[in-house]
Amino acid sequence: MKHFFRASLVLLLAGCYPQGPEYVEDTDVVYTTYDERFTFNTKETYAMPDMIVMDVEIDNGDTTYEYMPDKFAKPIFDKIIENMTALGYDQVDIDESPDLLLTPAAISSTTYFYSYWYDWWYGCYYGCGWGWYYPPYYTVSSYTTGSLIITLTDPNAAADSPINRSQTVWISAANGLVSYAYDITRVTRSIDQSFRQSPYLTTK
Amino acid sequence: MKRLFLTLTIAVAAVTFSQAQNSYVDVAYSIGFGTGDMGDFIKKASFRGITFDYRYAIQPNIALGFNLGWNTFYEEKGSDSYTVDNATLTGKQYRYSNNVPMLATGTYLLSPDEFLCPYFALGIGTMYARRNTDMNLYTLEQEGWPFVLQPEVGLRIQAADAVGVLVNLKYLNGFKAGDFDSTQSYFTLNVGFAFH
Repeated sequence: MKHFFRASLVLLLAGCYPQGPEYVEDTDVVYTTYDERFTFNTKETYAMPDMIVMDVEIDNGDTTYEYMPDKFAKPIFDKIIENMTALGYDQVDIDESPDLLLTPAAISSTTYFYSYWYDWWYGCYYGCGWGWYYPPYYTVSSYTTGSLIITLTDPNAAADSPINRSQTVWISAANGLVSYAYDITRVTRSIDQSFRQSPYLTTK
Repeated sequence: MKRLFLTLTIAVAAVTFSQAQNSYVDVAYSIGFGTGDMGDFIKKASFRGITFDYRYAIQPNIALGFNLGWNTFYEEKGSDSYTVDNATLTGKQYRYSNNVPMLATGTYLLSPDEFLCPYFALGIGTMYARRNTDMNLYTLEQEGWPFVLQPEVGLRIQAADAVGVLVNLKYLNGFKAGDFDSTQSYFTLNVGFAFH
């Protein structure tokens, strides 16, 4: 009876506690930041690759890139082009001296964690007192997040850099829990949001 | 959290044993309304709360005792953008505020042996306050143990010999402390059982 009362109280109180996100898309966030000294409205053209890197493997000095399949990459490129065009930029080839370079990259990351549970309630299983009355046991779980990172750089700034590299002038990172439902609209929505919250990118 | 459950279990059990004539034990369901900084953080009322009071009458109409409680405020914010300097973050926020007051109380009962017994009380003590702002898979946690003053006005209705009904209104004012740089305050409307 004592255990029933205790378990009921715990369940009652735990049941009342607010639970937070219900769907994987509730975890979606979009982060953007930019170089405040950079004058975007003096730029007119940009270039970007036609494939999205998802992973890089280096084996005995050989570098292999893993690219996103076209059926997922195409909607991403289409959405980026749509937003860049709306801001007033023209897409050009890399050998046409673009004002900006736009590079998308996709990353997925799996985090493993374990937790252990024990019971410290007052009990009389092995003599009365506070303490564990069962050995703790461990559970292992994991979650996977996906990120789409888009950067804008000024290729002409490399000449002013002591290490001949261009600094990123805008970065967008969209992140959320991976559901394995292959819902590309979560990604395209995040691209729209990236540009929406970056009105300073406009050339107009 | 388990400690809190245990505390509440003990509190409920105490009701069963409070048979003395000069003891008052109240257990009530508590509805909270954030004010000031807490109200700005979470605008929604809290319907997750419990409060426990023990009062011992040192004179017929004056009682000393203690108060324990727990109020959880929660609000799910729609997707919104938050900008700091040159960075903007957009997403849904889940806001939580857990407050566990622990107060010593003094009570003045206007008509202790009547069917209707209005009373005034003042609580002084501390509270464990924890605020979480969840976004994506991360939480920003703020904690503090503010000094608390809690005025209270209530009415006990002595429905039967030892059991009655209780309604009271408390204003918990927690001064700035810990991670909180402004006061943490809220009203509670409490309805429950009064044992005497």
